[in-house]
Amino acid sequence: MGTPRLHWMRGRTEQGAGLTRTLEWVGLDDAGQAIARVVRLKGPVWADWRQYRAVALDDEAKVIELRPSPPDGAGWLACIGARVVGRAALPLQAVRTAEAALAGGGD
Amino acid sequence: MPAPDLARIRNIGITAHIDAGKTTTTERILFYTGMSHRIGEVHDGNTTTDYMEQERERGITITSAAVTCEWKDHRINIIDTPGHIDFNIEVNRSLRVLDGAIFIIEGVAGVQPQSETNWRLADRYNVPRVIFINKLDRTGADFYRALGTLKEKLDIVALPLQLPIGIEDKFVGVVDLVEMKAIVWEGGELGAKYHDEPIPADLLEAAQEHRQTLLDTALSVDDAAMEEYFERGDVSVETLKRCIKAGTISGAFRPVLCGTAFKNKGVQPLLDAVIDYLPSPVDVPGIKVAAEEGEDEHAERRRIKADPNAPFAGLAFKIINDKYGTLTFVRVYAGTLRSGDMVLNTTRGHRERIGRMFQMHADKRQEIKEVTAGDIAAFVGLKDTGTGDTLASQEDPVILERMAFPVPVIDISVEPRTKEAIEKMTIGLQKLAAEDPSLRLRTDQETGQTILSGMGELHLEIIIDRLKREYGVDANVGAPQVAYRETISRPHTETYTHKKQTGGSGQYAEVKVVFEPLERNGGVVFENDVVGGAVPREYIPAVEKGIRVQAETGVLAGFPTVDFKARLVDGKYHDVDSSALAFEIAAKACFRDGMKKAGPMILEPVMDVEITTPQDHVGDVVGDLNRRRGMIQNQESSGSTVIVRAHVPLKEMFGYISQLRSMTKGRASFTMQFHHYDPVPRNIADEIMAKSA
Repeated sequence: MGTPRLHWMRGRTEQGAGLTRTLEWVGLDDAGQAIARVVRLKGPVWADWRQYRAVALDDEAKVIELRPSPPDGAGWLACIGARVVGRAALPLQAVRTAEAALAGGGD
Repeated sequence: MPAPDLARIRNIGITAHIDAGKTTTTERILFYTGMSHRIGEVHDGNTTTDYMEQERERGITITSAAVTCEWKDHRINIIDTPGHIDFNIEVNRSLRVLDGAIFIIEGVAGVQPQSETNWRLADRYNVPRVIFINKLDRTGADFYRALGTLKEKLDIVALPLQLPIGIEDKFVGVVDLVEMKAIVWEGGELGAKYHDEPIPADLLEAAQEHRQTLLDTALSVDDAAMEEYFERGDVSVETLKRCIKAGTISGAFRPVLCGTAFKNKGVQPLLDAVIDYLPSPVDVPGIKVAAEEGEDEHAERRRIKADPNAPFAGLAFKIINDKYGTLTFVRVYAGTLRSGDMVLNTTRGHRERIGRMFQMHADKRQEIKEVTAGDIAAFVGLKDTGTGDTLASQEDPVILERMAFPVPVIDISVEPRTKEAIEKMTIGLQKLAAEDPSLRLRTDQETGQTILSGMGELHLEIIIDRLKREYGVDANVGAPQVAYRETISRPHTETYTHKKQTGGSGQYAEVKVVFEPLERNGGVVFENDVVGGAVPREYIPAVEKGIRVQAETGVLAGFPTVDFKARLVDGKYHDVDSSALAFEIAAKACFRDGMKKAGPMILEPVMDVEITTPQDHVGDVVGDLNRRRGMIQNQESSGSTVIVRAHVPLKEMFGYISQLRSMTKGRASFTMQFHHYDPVPRNIADEIMAKSA
């Protein structure tokens, strides 16, 4: 992977066990527009007496449930706008997936 | 050596399957760090850490040995541990007190059974590890296959930091994926000379691919590093090392290095990795204090952080007796201690004065006046401190998390050849048992024989040999016997009244005890649930003693009874005729009568057996295992060989090696280790009981 095509910056974070954990990385184009995101998958989580095997936050921070659940080891979603373009075990892999999708390479 | 600051100390162990090259690697480390001026070899019987006569004669490590060396301005305390399963206690107690470990696997066989056992032990104590794939010069070595076994058998994220350059006799060096360079050994000077050069063209693509995986994995543990990467398209070597260290300590991934210690290649970068990636005493979260009774073992509890100015806290993890007396090895977790200071043994509740203190270098020692947090030292002069005891200051009398010891599976009877040697033998065996918590000593109440229980035939053979060499006792030894246990299968309540009137004051005691089965490894639990003073408090310990003593001799065949709870729920006493002795006698009789009605059964040790055999003999091997009451767990092909894994009762495994050799024309090998205790089938139980009658 060469220099990333997008400018990536930290998005939402969460506090836990004394550290801050990044939940999403946001990819900005040269004009500073957020056009891609890689989102950490969480789960299983309980909400409203239901258990979700895997969830992520959408760009308005609403919980979205993922169906079917991602395979083991797929901890990150790569998204372009509201479209999920791939899943990966690690955030940098998800970044590559998102950039490849933007370049027309799919995931 | 002056005490360095804590961040420059590494307390590490070297652990692996037997013959993977632990001692060979330790020897190179001592040579390259200048602690020795020649390289000893296991096959020549002249290594530093294998100093016992038996180790040198047999070419195996029996006892863990501590050595200290310096590398790039850091002090490294190393404990070299045995690989043979019979001496697993040494690995257990070493891992308990270390901050990190080098985990060696063989480049030919990959992860082997004992590697798995030691890996799980290190998991239990949360020990950060770097993995060294050794013996890449051997015929059949394959770095990528060995790497695959790490992922497959240990279920870990194994992260290569190096790739081999060449393989087998063409192995010359490694590609360093952190700095993207090749490190090549020049031959001669025992591997001390090596140089950096550009990565060979034929490895460049693979190196780039693996470096990307390295970045993907390592940077995911550090958001600031991710930002640096997004900014520059790469990260500095310092940032990458920081991330690898963080991931190594948290266990998010396990860094993998490679080389051949025997051919003197790859050891110096391994030492660099110890400095760069394994934690110092201040990088780890600190040792937990022990759980209170009834508290969840895994619950978060107070931790003792490495701080030289805090109240003293240390753990005695090893005891050896030599001609100068008893040496107690202590890992110091907090505080500073000087010769002559008093400490509290908080496990046993008494005070101990610290005599002389030593820093150990295998069997050599250097006197020191002070030890401080992060150190490992040996103390002389402790009178009653055992393995696993906590020593602490009176200011903060903590008890540190206890150590777990393995269950002995083989018994032998032992008796001295002459009557005069009885006392010498008893003293010798007691001292050896004090050194080795996996060795148990008891007297068979029926035959009066001394019974030694240990981890395997080799373990007991070495003990008998030490008894002769170190204590001058020649002993007659019975054939190894399986260490059966007895237990119960259902609850039963028994009442027993002990009444004796023979003129003068009599004996009177009545106890009512509920016997309940516990899960395996539940041990013997005694509970006092008496209400209203039906049994006066001063007699309760006598009841407990009676049950525990009688439990040593089970009701079916005289084997120790385990995994049950005895609840004293009621009883009666007499103001004049009751005594502690009367209650002890009543408890013993109550146990004997009660156990018979609680569905008693005999348990036998079942071993996890792994046989590596050529394909053509698989049928014979499996058939033979079935005849031995074995349960096949799985079969895996690896080239022309097949690895068969089975659970087989230990009783059926005596003399197995000769049978296996004759079945396979000497081409198969096997290893085994204790797995669990299981009830024996009825016909075997009858056989065992008939023998003991």
